[in-house]
Amino acid sequence: MSLLRDPVAWATELTRPEAWVLASSGAFVAVLVGAVAIGALGPTYFLFLVGLAGMYALLSLGLNAQWGFTGLINFSVAAFFGVGAYGSALLTADASPIAGGFSPIAGLVVGLFVALVLALLIGIPTLRLRADYLAIASLGLAEVIRLVVLNERWLTNGSAGLRGIPSFFAGWPVLSSFPETMPGLRITVVPGSPVVLETPFWEAALNVVVIVAFTLGTYAVLRRVHQSPWGRVLRTIRSDEDLARALGKHTYAFKMQSFVLGSLIMALAGVFYTHLNLYVGPGDLDPITTFYVWVAVILGGSGSNRGALFGGITVVTIREGTRFLNDLAIPVDPAPLRLLLIGVLILVVMRYRPQGILPPQRELIWPAARRSTAPATPPQAGDRTQRTTGPTESADKSDADAAAGVTDDGIEDTTGGERDE
Amino acid sequence: MTVLGYVANGLVFSSIIVLGSIGLSLVYSIADFANFAHGDTMTVGAYAALVTFGAVGSLGGAVLGLPYGFFLALFIGVAAGAAVAVVTERLIYEPLSVDSIGLLITSIGVAFVYRAVIQIGFGADFTRFEIGALRPIEWLIPYGIRVTRHDVAIVASAVVLVVGLHLLLQYTDLGRKMRAMADNPTLARVSGIRTRRIRYWTWVIGAGLAAAGGVFLGLFNQLSPRMGFNLLLVIFAAVILGGIGSVYGAMLGGFLIGMINQLTPLLSRLGEVLPLVPDGFGIPIGIEYANAIAFVIMVAVLLARPTGIAGEEAV
Repeated sequence: MSLLRDPVAWATELTRPEAWVLASSGAFVAVLVGAVAIGALGPTYFLFLVGLAGMYALLSLGLNAQWGFTGLINFSVAAFFGVGAYGSALLTADASPIAGGFSPIAGLVVGLFVALVLALLIGIPTLRLRADYLAIASLGLAEVIRLVVLNERWLTNGSAGLRGIPSFFAGWPVLSSFPETMPGLRITVVPGSPVVLETPFWEAALNVVVIVAFTLGTYAVLRRVHQSPWGRVLRTIRSDEDLARALGKHTYAFKMQSFVLGSLIMALAGVFYTHLNLYVGPGDLDPITTFYVWVAVILGGSGSNRGALFGGITVVTIREGTRFLNDLAIPVDPAPLRLLLIGVLILVVMRYRPQGILPPQRELIWPAARRSTAPATPPQAGDRTQRTTGPTESADKSDADAAAGVTDDGIEDTTGGERDE
Repeated sequence: MTVLGYVANGLVFSSIIVLGSIGLSLVYSIADFANFAHGDTMTVGAYAALVTFGAVGSLGGAVLGLPYGFFLALFIGVAAGAAVAVVTERLIYEPLSVDSIGLLITSIGVAFVYRAVIQIGFGADFTRFEIGALRPIEWLIPYGIRVTRHDVAIVASAVVLVVGLHLLLQYTDLGRKMRAMADNPTLARVSGIRTRRIRYWTWVIGAGLAAAGGVFLGLFNQLSPRMGFNLLLVIFAAVILGGIGSVYGAMLGGFLIGMINQLTPLLSRLGEVLPLVPDGFGIPIGIEYANAIAFVIMVAVLLARPTGIAGEEAV
């Protein structure tokens, strides 16, 4: 049901977790905007946080395309992210030890290409094997990439990292000089603490535009492919690979495609990070990044793109919140505190809600099929309605058991349902 | 250093890797998941020993340059590792209703909690046991071997533990039950084996050996909250080389990987070391890539023989 066409029906159709997530996200954003308005939170920092949240959401979408869709355990998210970041930084930075000074678009292409090669290299030996082999090998890959970045000074500048990176729109008409040409604004909401918007703010605003475009584009693509026959084969592989093989699917090829797709999305997030942070160092390849993204995906709901978006934002809250906590009240080193929070979150989610907060439900169902059984329309007799009734009905239940059931139903329907197309 | 010197170092390091990989392989075959918290279990053991040794002191006499107090600390470290693992099994893994992949992901959470607690308690810096460093054994130096009596103690203890495990697996009731359960858990259960109890024993043995490995690693190098996690890649490489699920494979894999790890400096001057190879020949790779070599071996094994030397089906 579309939000714009029929908001009331859309609202009543929300499941309880959906309503809860929507309300709490809304409240959270309202608090942050309020903090900006009264001057407690710098507007530029706020936009930096938005960019970071978008970046984690993008990383989570990438991991979701691997783990959520196909069940591939990738523990080298940080490596693909780092390859994207370093690929684009090495090409665009003034201080780059190899090339440098190219357009950010060239950096984007190179970053994605290196990630593609890397994904193939690690996928070829492991994707034919049981799922845990990929987990082990990818953890190793992440470590090796980190070692290379740290030690090959001629290539990556070693532990000093790379500086002098231009913004993403460097060399574009209009947009490259947009932050400088925008006038400085002073907005006084609360007397005495005006909100000042100057060049850094407009730079941050441009970054937000980039990440929103990346994330929404990726979301749209993933949503489409997830519902496509290709996506349904992936879901079948996830729940029963033997079944997919028995149906004549070349599961190795499907797994490889899904793995490469997810890795490219992670590298895209890395490219964005380069132009957001304007500095890339070996610390960015720390394995903790990988597990931030894992928490985001399993918390949001494995296989659910909306969940990945929600999880990404939650993770930024943890990451930046611990820093804030340290500045504000409790003098605890934030590094182990984050580690503890991430660890406890993994344990709690796996124990009490392994399917995540927003498990994939209606998003698995083809929109046309959903419309034909929506309560507003009288049910029509017909082959198509008959076939799609089962999953839709159970999808509308909000409790966890139904959610788990839906996945199974959906998959049974889809594997048989190749005939739909 | 001469070739013999590197081999001697390799022997010490592979004793530690063997202790780690046996435990990982045992848990893999009986609890049926890849335990990513295994490296951090080693760290737990090492820090428990550090605390104990700090509390009890040297306790008089010494064996092989190690005070009695250190052996008490080793014992407490092993007990602590085993206890932590059993509590984790009881509180975390057992109540879960997820498959082995879910357990694998959970074990990452467990690893982070272990490491975070240690880091909050002890800080992120390196520490050492308060045992004076020994000079290398005099009569071995002419051969180019620079090992201390501490290193000898590490190898000897590892041999005792490995032989003990072998006897336990082959000749005791518990060992037979463990092997039965590794083979086929359902069949073991219908035969009247209390599989839950065997799982607890598996954790005790696996985590205990890992903790011993952690204590020795702390003695061989130094202690830091990341020491175990950093070693995890090497241990997994050893287990995959040996074959997942095979304890004896893990011993062999651990020995080979540990040895190659310490022989890395020789790769750049292969020509001088090996006969029939021209003198100038060598693979130019620095010691900083010792762990990367373990990874390359792992990938090669997965390509050529995914079952490893002695493992079960990999598909």
